[in-house]
Amino acid sequence: MPSWPAKPTVVGASTTRVDATAAVTGAAKYSSDIQTGGWLYGMIFRSRWPAAHVTKVNVDKARQVPGIKAAVVEREGERTVRFYGEELAAVAGVSKQACLDALRAISVEATPLPFVVKEEVAKKPDAPRVWPDAPNLAEPNVKEQGDVDKAFAEAAAVVEGFFTTAVQIHHPLEPHGNTVSVTNDGVTCWASTQGIFSVREGLASYLDVSQEKVRVITEHMGGGFGAKFGPGSEGGLAARLSQAAGAPVKLMLTRFDQALAVGNRPSSFQRIRLGAGADGKLVAFDMDAFGTAGFGAGAASAGGGGGAGFPAPYIYTVPNIRVKQASVAINAGQGRAFRAPGHPVASFGMESILDELAVKLKMDPVEIRLKNDPSEVRRREYEIGADRFGWKRKYKPPGSTTGPVKVGVGCGGATWGGGGRGSQAEAQINPDGSLEIRCGTQDLGTGTHTVVAVVAAEVFGLKPGQITVKIGDTRFPPSGASGGSTTAASVCPAIFDACTNALQRLQEAAGVADARGANWTSACKKLGVNPLTVHGEWREGLSSRGAGGVQFAEVEVDTETGFVKVRKILCVQDCGLVVNKLTCETQIQGGIIMGLGYALYEERVMDSTTGFVLNPNFETYKLPGFADVPDIEVILMEMPERGVIGVGEPCTIPTASAIANAVANALGVRVCSLPVTPARVLAALGKAVKPGGSV
Amino acid sequence: MNSFEYVSPRTVDGAISRVTDRGRFFAGGIDILGEMKEYIASPQVLVSVKELPATHEIEPGKSWTIGANVTISEIEQHAGLRRTFPGLQQAAAEVGSPQIRNVATVGGNLAQHSRCWYYRHRDIQCLKRGGSTCYAREGDNRYHSLFTGNPCISPVVSNLAIALAALDAKVIVRRGKDEAALTIPDLYAKAWDNPVVHHSLGPTDLILRVQIPDEGRASAYRQISEKASFDWALVSCAAAAKVDGNKLRQVRVVLGAVAPVPYQVAAAHEYLEGRELTDEVAAQASEIMLKDALALDYNGYKVPIARALIHRTLQQLVG
Amino acid sequence: MSERSHIESLDKEISRRSFLKGVGTAVIATAAAPARAVAARTEQIERLGTDQTVGPGQAPVTLSVNSQALKLNLEPRVTLLDALRNYSNLTGTKEVCDRGTCGACTVLLDGKPVYSCMKLAIEAQGHEITTIEGLAPAGKLTDVQQAVVDHDALMCGYCTPGFIMSMTSLLKANPHPTADEVRVACSGNLCRCGTQHRMLAAALQSAGAPLAKTIEVIRDA
Repeated sequence: MPSWPAKPTVVGASTTRVDATAAVTGAAKYSSDIQTGGWLYGMIFRSRWPAAHVTKVNVDKARQVPGIKAAVVEREGERTVRFYGEELAAVAGVSKQACLDALRAISVEATPLPFVVKEEVAKKPDAPRVWPDAPNLAEPNVKEQGDVDKAFAEAAAVVEGFFTTAVQIHHPLEPHGNTVSVTNDGVTCWASTQGIFSVREGLASYLDVSQEKVRVITEHMGGGFGAKFGPGSEGGLAARLSQAAGAPVKLMLTRFDQALAVGNRPSSFQRIRLGAGADGKLVAFDMDAFGTAGFGAGAASAGGGGGAGFPAPYIYTVPNIRVKQASVAINAGQGRAFRAPGHPVASFGMESILDELAVKLKMDPVEIRLKNDPSEVRRREYEIGADRFGWKRKYKPPGSTTGPVKVGVGCGGATWGGGGRGSQAEAQINPDGSLEIRCGTQDLGTGTHTVVAVVAAEVFGLKPGQITVKIGDTRFPPSGASGGSTTAASVCPAIFDACTNALQRLQEAAGVADARGANWTSACKKLGVNPLTVHGEWREGLSSRGAGGVQFAEVEVDTETGFVKVRKILCVQDCGLVVNKLTCETQIQGGIIMGLGYALYEERVMDSTTGFVLNPNFETYKLPGFADVPDIEVILMEMPERGVIGVGEPCTIPTASAIANAVANALGVRVCSLPVTPARVLAALGKAVKPGGSV
Repeated sequence: MNSFEYVSPRTVDGAISRVTDRGRFFAGGIDILGEMKEYIASPQVLVSVKELPATHEIEPGKSWTIGANVTISEIEQHAGLRRTFPGLQQAAAEVGSPQIRNVATVGGNLAQHSRCWYYRHRDIQCLKRGGSTCYAREGDNRYHSLFTGNPCISPVVSNLAIALAALDAKVIVRRGKDEAALTIPDLYAKAWDNPVVHHSLGPTDLILRVQIPDEGRASAYRQISEKASFDWALVSCAAAAKVDGNKLRQVRVVLGAVAPVPYQVAAAHEYLEGRELTDEVAAQASEIMLKDALALDYNGYKVPIARALIHRTLQQLVG
Repeated sequence: MSERSHIESLDKEISRRSFLKGVGTAVIATAAAPARAVAARTEQIERLGTDQTVGPGQAPVTLSVNSQALKLNLEPRVTLLDALRNYSNLTGTKEVCDRGTCGACTVLLDGKPVYSCMKLAIEAQGHEITTIEGLAPAGKLTDVQQAVVDHDALMCGYCTPGFIMSMTSLLKANPHPTADEVRVACSGNLCRCGTQHRMLAAALQSAGAPLAKTIEVIRDA
């Protein structure tokens, strides 16, 4: 079984990104930047109705608009539209202006249908149905263990709460989209994707061409967060436009499109009861929850995919439980996996109710977690974090601060799988000593380019800058899609294997015992004319699964205005062997900032009257701004013996929980809904004037 | 956006003659390009006003003159303005982002259109756009008015208007052949009663400059938003007064983002005249100002914010 | 109020504007090649103000970008961002929101950061436009760019050019900004990956006030 070096010199150090220069100079080419010869601009035409029976989509006039080279309908024949923004047609032309004019020339014959866009309304039996043959509210998934009613009856303390979380939109800054060229020779697709092979497979199937004729390239991509797998409707439409026009088509979604149609994190409405003994040990957990994953009604899928389900009880061991979760369909865009699917939702409900219980028992919130968290690693992280954070000094009973600006602290934990397998790679060593590592994986900003260089450099005794890394091409050895925090754990072992094999072959070919480091150039010369190309693949022993992590938050809340300012977040995070410290810490900070957005600002707002998304833009769908970002401290808890585990998702799970707990600690009352806006803070404090009321 | 003709006249008469009823004046462009990209405005002619003479300067004096084409950045960074009218500078500093402030102008900021998310939605024809319904009334009105005289509940969003109202500024407007001097209340008065307008300007009226009397008053501006920066105000407040010991004289307190006009209550000014600012006095002034507030389904939280801002802005005057 | 009626009134809106489709047909039809092709020699147009109407069809537009003349044929409605990315090959400036809300399209106009998506290309004439490609002549990174690399102030990189333009402008005007001044200068730039903390460190590094860069690592079995 292979293993990482006991005393690595490059792995575990800090290496700046090997693709950083390309990014900071504007030289990096994303799929949105591709300008392959004769390319056309593409655009999608979307439904203006949240629900409608469409009999005809007419693109004839669109085809006549000057500059338009192709116009296609998404599908022939009648159809039922189920959300505002559903794809109906697409056009391609010589300019954005031609496409804009062409969209205005498309006409649709449709009969609007009744619709519903609010979960609480949709779950009622008399609500308009999203699907004619099924109620909006699916049968709940039920999980029971022990005797929960008896346990509540005997519990020393019981608390109950109703917690809600909003639909969150991924909003990667580079929109979804592709530049696709379909010719008789095959298909080339520069995709903004997390899974080049998923796009290849999807396009081949959609166009009914053989997979070996389809090539997908993603050298750089501008973020995905789980939303970018497969070609999507936009990829298929771009390919058809390219076929029809006989030219490559670049079809990138607009920000408006992004807010409607390419995925989101499902909402949640969680009624939770929690009971414990006098010693703080949890004895009973009862949850009745629902949430929406958009127009696709159906059973929840806990911990993955785009369903509305989530793990419960989250993290903590409770012997007696009853959990009911149901998903409810509404006329809105479908959910998709979004960075730790289900977990931030699960964490918010669980960590909030747990703090309520701690208050009732007059227990320290860290103490109650140490008592109930089954993970030794996380318990250790709580101790380290609490000490570094100054928890004992900072924690005071809820609402203790005098004066209008109140300070509070909170915490929460994360659990995630990660791990990975199934990647392949190849190393090509040239006689002049230059070398190239090739792997069909993706870099979403996660630093994949760099960890490939780091691992190769470690094996060959070189510097990362000496390694040429080529990823993101389906002509390279296949790797998995980048999701689930699996990339590093899948790719690094494959690189290690390929390079180890290559080193051995080089040494054999050159007749030297050690070709590394200073011996490299002379050893390579002995290859003669041909380079050495050696394959490798993921092997057991270099990676594993299971990461934890805990976060602490300190906030100040202005009780006169409701404004929440996060002063600090401290995170203690384990992820096994840290391959590149610099990019690992950046990733963790990034996850925390995404959690900050979930905690305080982000919410997709649907309008009941029209069925539209009211905030399809960055003006009113609010991402954290520069000045909103607090002081962030990250402590990496390294466990090299566990091998490579992913960190992209655990780091975003408990942030909102810690912040919400800190707000409750500051105020003495709890805001039970995310995002924690000034409006919600003032309502919780009883200061907001009721509807219809005056001063 | 739809296509259009573009012209950049060098005289005011030229600009007015070109705008007709097919066109729109075009200053920094931030507001109108946003509308055009959503197809809620499709002028056939864009008449740039950026080359018009005597509109680019800040001139100090007994009455300061700020040309309509002065950018928000220029206001924010002008040392003299900051000393004389700190409230105006504070309001300017909160407009958008640096990129916006570098191109947005005083004239455009005052004349900007509603930010109601129903008004701005490409597929909604609300009351303000000539439709039959104010969707916000029965819908999501979390960002909407506490006070209004008409069925539309979208509030004024110009930060500068609030600060300039407190400073008793006048806006010089070309109306046909004549120049009219409008107070800030005049500039927005029509929006109080009439749901389809954003202010009192007609389609060919053109803001030329703003005049602010220097009366030796202290001034201040504050706002609360959901984010710490680059975010519309949930509520804003501007105040100005002569501070005589701890007593306030010639007081103005104005609220923004709560009404279609910069919201002032004469009775509050009368109450504050000559009083020493204490917590009780500030609280009473708030009560007078907020007396007619009517909370909708989702904006009742604006009342306590307004109360806090009135108090803090007044407090900022006395230091 | 019926759902149908408000959709119907929108349809009326659309047909009223149908005249626009016919406008400029002659000009556009002759441009057989994609409109992004650089025009042949045309007369340079200085800053507009000649009282001459431009458009609605394409007109010659000359942009000074990174000290080079870019000669294009553009409709007045083409934004500077569109001109850079789609009518030229300057794709370093990114399109993310097209509404002046995120900063990814930030370029410098006479040294000041503006949203190129909210600036008509014709109005950018007569100004000096600087894009990300114009910062590092002959490949030597500027201090700001190097600081971004050193501090790992990037992840997917899509917001990075916009941030670098904002920070470059700040540091030129104010070589030693405070952290709050950096926050104000970057308030118009969004990052979804969450690099803001790193960006602040990079900016302060460039300001000559570097933060000690340590990553806390503990070993725990």
